[in-house]
Amino acid sequence: MTNSKIGKTILDLRNINKFFGGVRALSDFSMTIEEGEIHCLVGENGSGKSTLIKVASGALKAESGDIYINGNFYKNLHIMDAIKEGIQVIYQDLSLYTNLTIAENIAMNQLIEKNLKLINSRIIHNISKEAINELKINLDLEMVVENLAMGDKQLVAICRALTHDVKLIIMDEPTVALTRNEIELLFKVILSLKEKGISTLFLSHKLSEVFQISEEVTIIRDGLKVGEFKTNELDNDKLIFYMIGKKIEKEKYSYDEDKNKDNVLLEVTNLTKKNNFKNINFKLLAGEIIGITGLLGSGRTELALSIFGLNKPDSGHIFIEGEKVKIDSPQDAIKLGISFFPSDRTIEGLFMKKPVDINLIITVIKENLNKMGLIDFRSIKSRAKEQVEDLNIKIPSLSAQITSLSGGNQQKVALGKWISTNPKIFILDSPTVGVDIGAKYNVYSIIKKLAIEQNMGIIMISDEIREVMENCNKILLMKKGEIIDIVYPNKTSENEIFSKISGTSLSNN
Amino acid sequence: MLKKVLNKNELFLFLIIILLIIILTSFNRSFLTLENWFDMIKNNSGMMILAIGFLVILLSGGIDLSFTSIGIFCAFIATDVLVSKNINNMFLAFAISCGLGILMGAVNAFFISYYKIPPLITTLATYAVYNGGLLVISNNRSFYAAELPLWYKKFGAMNIFTITKPEGDKYGLSIYFLIVISVILFTWFILKYTMLGKGIYAIGGNIESAKRSGFNIVKIQFFIYCYMGFLAGIAAIMETSILQAVVVSGVSVVDLSVIAAVILGGGRLSGGYGKILGTVFGVIILMILNNNLILIGLSSFWNEFVIGFVIIIGVIITSIQTKQKSRGISIIKI
Repeated sequence: MTNSKIGKTILDLRNINKFFGGVRALSDFSMTIEEGEIHCLVGENGSGKSTLIKVASGALKAESGDIYINGNFYKNLHIMDAIKEGIQVIYQDLSLYTNLTIAENIAMNQLIEKNLKLINSRIIHNISKEAINELKINLDLEMVVENLAMGDKQLVAICRALTHDVKLIIMDEPTVALTRNEIELLFKVILSLKEKGISTLFLSHKLSEVFQISEEVTIIRDGLKVGEFKTNELDNDKLIFYMIGKKIEKEKYSYDEDKNKDNVLLEVTNLTKKNNFKNINFKLLAGEIIGITGLLGSGRTELALSIFGLNKPDSGHIFIEGEKVKIDSPQDAIKLGISFFPSDRTIEGLFMKKPVDINLIITVIKENLNKMGLIDFRSIKSRAKEQVEDLNIKIPSLSAQITSLSGGNQQKVALGKWISTNPKIFILDSPTVGVDIGAKYNVYSIIKKLAIEQNMGIIMISDEIREVMENCNKILLMKKGEIIDIVYPNKTSENEIFSKISGTSLSNN
Repeated sequence: MLKKVLNKNELFLFLIIILLIIILTSFNRSFLTLENWFDMIKNNSGMMILAIGFLVILLSGGIDLSFTSIGIFCAFIATDVLVSKNINNMFLAFAISCGLGILMGAVNAFFISYYKIPPLITTLATYAVYNGGLLVISNNRSFYAAELPLWYKKFGAMNIFTITKPEGDKYGLSIYFLIVISVILFTWFILKYTMLGKGIYAIGGNIESAKRSGFNIVKIQFFIYCYMGFLAGIAAIMETSILQAVVVSGVSVVDLSVIAAVILGGGRLSGGYGKILGTVFGVIILMILNNNLILIGLSSFWNEFVIGFVIIIGVIITSIQTKQKSRGISIIKI
């Protein structure tokens, strides 16, 4: 599907083929970006997005294919060529000097380019002031970058890109570490870049952002270009279909509350903790999936941590299967049959350098000891194998290091670890953050299966409203530490939920 | 309030210095005399110069444990040449010492930049090689006062100006002070006003970005390690002139005071952070502690203990400051 484009073509990639050893990373890939265009490159992890931008910026050499930048043909594109032509890449790590000031960071590349030997703060100030004035933002230039919030660091990186007479800024997953406000700010900046005729190509797998900011979308899958569309020609379902190649079955989770109303697994009454949450009351029935959503700071995670023994409440009661309990530590919680899946799988969830099988059974290692109390590795391997099959985890081998797995599969291992404990109550905090679309739906079906087949009571905390709408039979809305409403997915809409938790309404979609 | 003071690192150190002065003076009046201070300055000029060199290396994310053996090696060779050829020329001594120091520093730089061996291991190895090598070359021969060329004594005693006490004895501000000030100013200039200086900070901050930006990493690393060797050469001759001896004993110790001073001054072992002024204050604090504990009745056996203690305090304070700062709050206004 081609689109007629007007205006100057900044980047023109034709039939790019890139191999890594025997693996084809890019397959006959072509793409164009016009002046002032906001273009999004969408694809799952491992689809070839990063490889493409490295080829486009000269960091990697393609085996075959042609590259035209600003109409100039390049057989062998070098990094310096791309920079001279006005292409700037901002990688996810931002490549900033955290020990230097904002001004020094912005001005640094210019200073080197000018081949100066002596410098003074005046020169640095002038170069950096010019850049931030272009974006009309207000930054304290003398602040050391180390102290900045993520969103500000990103803007510093963009300002640095501006000092080069840039025509195209390529951003690799710029919104991953940003708060909602920072994302809005970033989009404002991208729009003002457009006004100056500067094009933006950004990589993303967050679909909502694709629809919010981009004008053109190129979808890549397994190194192939699936299509290039105008954003308004697509909708969420079409986009997912193109990204993963198959239709996603999206069924809401249905649950008969009346039938199960006596099967109360967890009851929370008047739970309160100063500055965290207030007067929390709810019941969790066996086989239910309850969602908790709210803006950042609404107290969702703090509440979950309290039930898991990591955030002792000031007052209120917790009842497990009718009995009042005190949960002072995770060990208490685990003994009561509660499992908790944290939002940061790499820091809190997995032993990154340990093998898959150890990670999967570590929570129940006591059940894998032999008669002498030593670790029974054979039993570990067989339990782990079961898990891997049940959860459909793609691994090179059971002894492979976690770091060698893709994000989605890592997530499944982290899930598997807690499923091993056979909990009655499973609390999941942002279970699919950073996970591909395909893997996301995989995880959802695992969760639904747990609820249906094992009658687990599940609490799913998420800030993606769509996620709780599709997976929960009941959603608790939290705002500023209190439950402001309890809604049912089949009786409400995403928009309605959003306006309740934020006091405003979504701008589009 | 306490947090604010802690965050202004140099201010905090200055207050500590004032505090120490007050405490020590209250124990013993003679602490706060020009004579005592001129004496301290002369005896610690070497430490100050070495600390400045160490700071520069630390800023780049590196470390140098070999500077003491470079120093003594250079002092030996320089003195040996002068004595054996019966030359009494101060400038020649410095030239040999500094030249050799640069070469020895270059060896460090070579392994660090071309073979990418971590600075810690490289300089630990060269420290041992230079130390042992000196024993071999010198055949354990030391130089003592009588054999040293005359200028060593003269240089060691040279003052910028002299004051005579009513009892008749004299004291003065050593010429060493000028050398120290020159090194401090020169280094400060490089760090603040040249691209070389920015490159040093850049490498220490994010070496990958420094490469991408186009800094010549190899050139910069050669500069910093050779500079340290150069400064070690200067300090060694200065020390020899005070001690009136070059003692080759094979027992050389990595100079903890220098490292302690730089870390206390705010230099981070992880690289990228540190200021000249902080290092100067750090040296002053160590200088005060090193020489004056006796005034409050602590024998010199206490010195090492106190230095170690100071390093711990310095590291704790730095880590508190880092923790404070890492709460990133958005400062953007549109």
